[in-house]
Amino acid sequence: MIDFFKSVFKYKNYILYSAKCKLKSEVSNSYLNALWWVLNPLIYMLIYIFIVTIVFKKSEPNFPVFVFIGLTIWNYFSRVLNSSVKTIVDNKNIIRKIYIPKYNLLIVKTLTLLFQTFISIFLVFVLLFIFKVHITLKILYFIPILLVLYCFTFSAGLILMHFGVYIRDLKNIVDLLLKFIFYFSGVFYSIPKSLPSNFAFLILNFNPVAFLIDASRECIMYNHTPNLLILSIYFIISIILGIVGLKLIKKHENTYVKVM
Amino acid sequence: MKAIEVNNVSLKYYTLINKKQRLGFKFGKKEVFQALDNISFNVSKGEVVGIIGQNGSGKSTLLNVIAGVFEPDSGEVKLFGNKVGLLSLGIGFDNNLTGYENIYLSGMLLGYDKTYIDEKLDDIIDFSELDDFIYKPVSTYSSGMYSKLSFAIAAFLEKDIILIDEVLSVGDIHFKEKSYQKIMDLINNDNKTIIIVSHSISTILELCNRVIWIDQGKIIKDGDVNEVTKDYIKFMKNLKK
Repeated sequence: MIDFFKSVFKYKNYILYSAKCKLKSEVSNSYLNALWWVLNPLIYMLIYIFIVTIVFKKSEPNFPVFVFIGLTIWNYFSRVLNSSVKTIVDNKNIIRKIYIPKYNLLIVKTLTLLFQTFISIFLVFVLLFIFKVHITLKILYFIPILLVLYCFTFSAGLILMHFGVYIRDLKNIVDLLLKFIFYFSGVFYSIPKSLPSNFAFLILNFNPVAFLIDASRECIMYNHTPNLLILSIYFIISIILGIVGLKLIKKHENTYVKVM
Repeated sequence: MKAIEVNNVSLKYYTLINKKQRLGFKFGKKEVFQALDNISFNVSKGEVVGIIGQNGSGKSTLLNVIAGVFEPDSGEVKLFGNKVGLLSLGIGFDNNLTGYENIYLSGMLLGYDKTYIDEKLDDIIDFSELDDFIYKPVSTYSSGMYSKLSFAIAAFLEKDIILIDEVLSVGDIHFKEKSYQKIMDLINNDNKTIIIVSHSISTILELCNRVIWIDQGKIIKDGDVNEVTKDYIKFMKNLKK
């Protein structure tokens, strides 16, 4: 654990510069450049609003804000997990030539995605303002929620990154699983209101994304305190997963090259 | 003063790793390829050591172990606090970025901080002869320009121990000479410890004062250049018959 922080500190220059470069490189070849980071979530939001309000004729108060909060958290979660499986293979040019603690490569990825998430969060605030949603200091609970989101996805990502080297099918499995989990995460519907209570209880407690999305809405839109007990449990789970992931990687990272 | 100490290093490759074995279930036959078998040697500071051997004898694996890219199955490599690096082209390059940005990206990956790269920046750009192209994305470069830039980065961001897998000379005739000269400068620098892997006996004879001959993962001979290469050539000739 201490090794981990030391090494991150040692590579901080590279991590930050590389994350900056990745963002730049991502937009450098498109006409609308960084505008895509704003357009992408907005267009998805419109699609879900269309499906839910027009096709299924359901809605929630301030529905765009509702959907957008869900999307912001879901996008970060699913993108980190999806890309973590491929991190080692994507970086094989680096790994074959030089030693770098492999989790640093995942940190670079999470930082670029985090940056896009912050843009998305900024848009949430713009929408809150446009729809004149009444917000209170309870919104500060969103900060620990984001922290848990980051820790949980990073830790799960570490483990996926490790097994992704050995099992190439894992990326298809993760992709499918995420598509499945998406529908049980309440991105475009409210789990407590739409599902039978037993079922809702189960999902909210055992699906971390569903819980985090619901908790964010509680504190941002409805001025409620989220369930802090479950939030701390997820934090502890993240730390445990993280330690397991770091141990796995530390033990095996120098054999990754042999398998590729 | 010792710069590198290699103690009883062994490394196996599992060829034909089947899917179950990858998962850690140990069924089926394992085919083991002993790439390095109990290798031990010391290198003092300032020495230029050549490594020779036929294809598949474990030369490059040995370099990778010293560089820390592979971890040996047993044994250890001590570096006494020296910074070590493989002299290789284009580490960590991102083709969508400009050459200028790639200098920083590659440099920071190699473990240098921004101020150090700032200092070397002019040298690198001058040496690469890219002029204004340095501010254009690497994807627009010709392959010659790419190798010139990556050579300049590799050569100017120096390490205490430099590992060279085949002496690089890239670009057109003019640049080839220049890059060869640059490598010679590095080699002649007394503060640098160099290990060169090469198939070219003439390069080894010209550059090294000591040669290690490896075959099937074992050290066959370690000593004076002329002696070892003579035996090696004899061995290779017998092999062809």
